[in-house]
Amino acid sequence: MLFAVVLLLTIGCIAFVLAQEARGVPRPGGLRGRIRDRGWGLLLLPVAMAAAVMAGGAHGLIPAELGIAVLAIVFVPKLAAKLVPYGVLGLAVFGVMLAKMYHDGFTSQVQYLFVHAVSRGGAELVLAEAGVLFVVGLWLLVRLDVPGAGPVRTLAARWLDRGRGGISAVQGLLLIPVVGLAMQLLGPGNWFGWQAVDGLDAALIDLTVTTAALVLIFRSRAWAATLAAAGLLVLGVYGWLIVAFWPALPGFAYGFTDLHNDPGSAHLWGAALQGSVLLAAGLWLAPRVMRQHLADPADLELAARARQLTQRVQTLTQTRHDAVDTASAELRRIERDLHDGAQARLVALGMSLRAAERLFATNPEAALALVSEARETSSRALSDLRDLVRGIYPPVLADRGLADAVRALVLDTPLHTELDVDLPGEVQTPVGAAVYFAVAEALANAVAHSGARTVRIHLSHAAGLLRAQITDDGSGGADPAQGTGLAGVERRLATFDGILAVNSPPGGPTIVVIEVPCALSSAKTSSC
Amino acid sequence: MRVVIGEDLFLLREGLVRLLSAHGFEVVAAVGTAPELLAALVDEHPDVGIVDVRLPPTHTDDGLRAALKARQRIPGLPVLVLSQYVERLYARELLADQAGGVGYLLKDRVFNDDQFTGAIRTVATGGTVLDPEVIGKLLERHSRTEPLTRLTAREREVLALMAEGRSNAAIAQRLFITEKAISKHAAGIFDKLGLALSDDDNRRVLAVLAYLDS
Repeated sequence: MLFAVVLLLTIGCIAFVLAQEARGVPRPGGLRGRIRDRGWGLLLLPVAMAAAVMAGGAHGLIPAELGIAVLAIVFVPKLAAKLVPYGVLGLAVFGVMLAKMYHDGFTSQVQYLFVHAVSRGGAELVLAEAGVLFVVGLWLLVRLDVPGAGPVRTLAARWLDRGRGGISAVQGLLLIPVVGLAMQLLGPGNWFGWQAVDGLDAALIDLTVTTAALVLIFRSRAWAATLAAAGLLVLGVYGWLIVAFWPALPGFAYGFTDLHNDPGSAHLWGAALQGSVLLAAGLWLAPRVMRQHLADPADLELAARARQLTQRVQTLTQTRHDAVDTASAELRRIERDLHDGAQARLVALGMSLRAAERLFATNPEAALALVSEARETSSRALSDLRDLVRGIYPPVLADRGLADAVRALVLDTPLHTELDVDLPGEVQTPVGAAVYFAVAEALANAVAHSGARTVRIHLSHAAGLLRAQITDDGSGGADPAQGTGLAGVERRLATFDGILAVNSPPGGPTIVVIEVPCALSSAKTSSC
Repeated sequence: MRVVIGEDLFLLREGLVRLLSAHGFEVVAAVGTAPELLAALVDEHPDVGIVDVRLPPTHTDDGLRAALKARQRIPGLPVLVLSQYVERLYARELLADQAGGVGYLLKDRVFNDDQFTGAIRTVATGGTVLDPEVIGKLLERHSRTEPLTRLTAREREVLALMAEGRSNAAIAQRLFITEKAISKHAAGIFDKLGLALSDDDNRRVLAVLAYLDS
């Protein structure tokens, strides 16, 4: 009963701390905040309670230990949190000691956590519980980064940091002896000592399991090796447990050791030797297998970084794809404009001049008309080229940079426009052009669709972020998903990791925000 | 009339020299970079400087800056700025000192040598000549905005032609009305823009500036 309380308390504490950690900063104020600050230290309560109960269940001891734990949690929360893993590990070691004592007959009954063992039954359950506590203790040790976690972490990292370059066939084939030994211990007719099946059924099950193991080895070498590693570790530990707890532990034979007929100590040590070999093989194989499954389990930070990089690469692939698309569409437009515009006019010009040349002697007046026509054509060709260049890279942007280019844009806008520029330096050319065209598009939309009377533009740069905000007092309801203008702008900005956000509730106002991360270079002088 | 030319493209520079010489202008210096241009404008003190906006060394708006600097040293030094593009931002900067004697034209206006030399003469005598393309954009814009809305349509038309640097006589001819009517419109424009009675040329500059600034 008491341990049910301990269990509930433990689960409650862990769930609470994990939930709070998942929520992240900022911390809440008041009582909840204070409890949260104590965090993992709260686990000291169930640990103390369990220790008190096992130390004989003297009734005075439980309130006393709980009281000390509460005082520690309240007044030295950091120390309390650091005590928790060692408390749990201590309980685990205590559990193993209890089991051994009980097994060797030093004590007739044992109460360990949820197990109450009397008259030579239940030692294995005590061991299982101790094993669970041991794992939990190690996890907390690393999780809470308490003193002593460093060497453990370093050892673990060194252990895990081996075996690059995949799983070999030999490593996969290790599954065969593992399955063999497991069948010997757990197989039909044995089953940890319980004779469940026999005869033909047993042979069938043996055959099925072995076939499955072979299929797995050939289908997935990595998973076969994984199973082999897990089996080697478990069976290796089991060999040692047999030495310590025979005959409490089930099994008639362990490898080459016949436990059933001749349980002499020499045979038991044979089992221990085999267990050590298996354990060594398991420890050798496990990191190689984990390396196969995890990118870098030793370094969670690295794994997180790898995830970030993967995401980054995806974004870059997408934006580069968009950039290539945009650039090729742009090139096609320029080519077409040149072909249909300036080029065509220059051809016409040449033809007019040639015709004038022919007519010069015979009909000077007609020749004169053709020459003046040629002059007009050249004017129009120039005008075409001007428009084209403005669409590629506006001259003021080239001359003066972003601030003055937007200023020029504002001058050409048929709306009352307020411009507020706060740029201490100059923006890089491609970023400047992208932001310029974004502002131009937003401004054009305000003119064409919003019915606004005034527009406010704010250009600023802070914390490595170039920001342009265009606000109009129009009727709102602009949808960036409709129409290709803003979508194109968005794609172009994305090439520079920039974003475009539109907030336009029906009834207005419409706010367009453009943000691009970029550094500013030293300022050009913006006027003489 | 003494002229200084600042143009970096050899073909255009030589073309301008030939064109202006043919029309009886005396080209005292034809240079290809902004520092040379500034020196020539200040040293030669020509009747008019003809300046390309984009010049070496940085190939941005060095020519324009040189022209503005020269006008700081010699207030009112007539400058006609030529460019492949016309930007109202630059027009405003040129007119900002309110001294007049400023022109700002697209390069292809050179094709029409009569108009071009006319513009040079207007600038040289303290007038203001803005490219029709600048004016066109202004007309679009002013159909919807303040403060020139008080002007009548006719007055706005007259103001636009004034900004292009045309004399009253030329405007009258263009609009098919008498010169006297133009004077009346001009007076109305000056009045509505709150420009006090003073030298007529200066008021014309101020009116154009108000037009650009609106």
